[in-house]
Amino acid sequence: MELDLDESSLAIGRIERALSRIEKALADRAKRPVAAPAADQSALKAEVAAVIGELDLLIAEAKRG
Amino acid sequence: MADVKLTIAGRPYDVHCADGEEAQLIRLAAVVDEKARTMPGVTEVRQLLFAALMLADETQEARAKADKAEPQSDSLRAAVALAESRETAARDELKAAVSREQAALKELEAIRGHTPTATTSSNPAHDRALLQIADRIEALASKVEQLP
Repeated sequence: MELDLDESSLAIGRIERALSRIEKALADRAKRPVAAPAADQSALKAEVAAVIGELDLLIAEAKRG
Repeated sequence: MADVKLTIAGRPYDVHCADGEEAQLIRLAAVVDEKARTMPGVTEVRQLLFAALMLADETQEARAKADKAEPQSDSLRAAVALAESRETAARDELKAAVSREQAALKELEAIRGHTPTATTSSNPAHDRALLQIADRIEALASKVEQLP
């Protein structure tokens, strides 16, 4: 699939909005400390780490041009 | 010099004054005349004496009022100076914020200016990855939002 500039910008916008949603959800969660089941948390952590890893990779590739 | 004819307490007076000051002199004479006439039935000298005393009293009161008003004007001046300095600080802050925003916009434009070559023609893999990451982060956001 090829994206032009506008679609890239839209993808970046989607990422920014999703990050804001995560930030807000975590902030709300911090206000009401409820312990989630350990399995859920570790799965979530793994998913976060995977996404961060992919982002890092993408950024490194973009820097190399 | 100008010649002015004044009437105070019923007696006419010929007075000289500088050119252009005639109207002011006539106004002052009217004030003295008004005071003098508040004491009817006494001698002219006494009328003028009381007029002089009343005017001296008014002068003293006016001076006292002016002295009292002085501290108020001082505090007013201080308040104005404070407001002005705050306004200056706020303007400086606003100016700095605008410069920061402009710098950030320039940076963004520079990045966007380079983005097409990097994302469209030279590396479509990045575009695909970007789209996939957007999908995954959105899914992640939904999961985080649904956490108990």
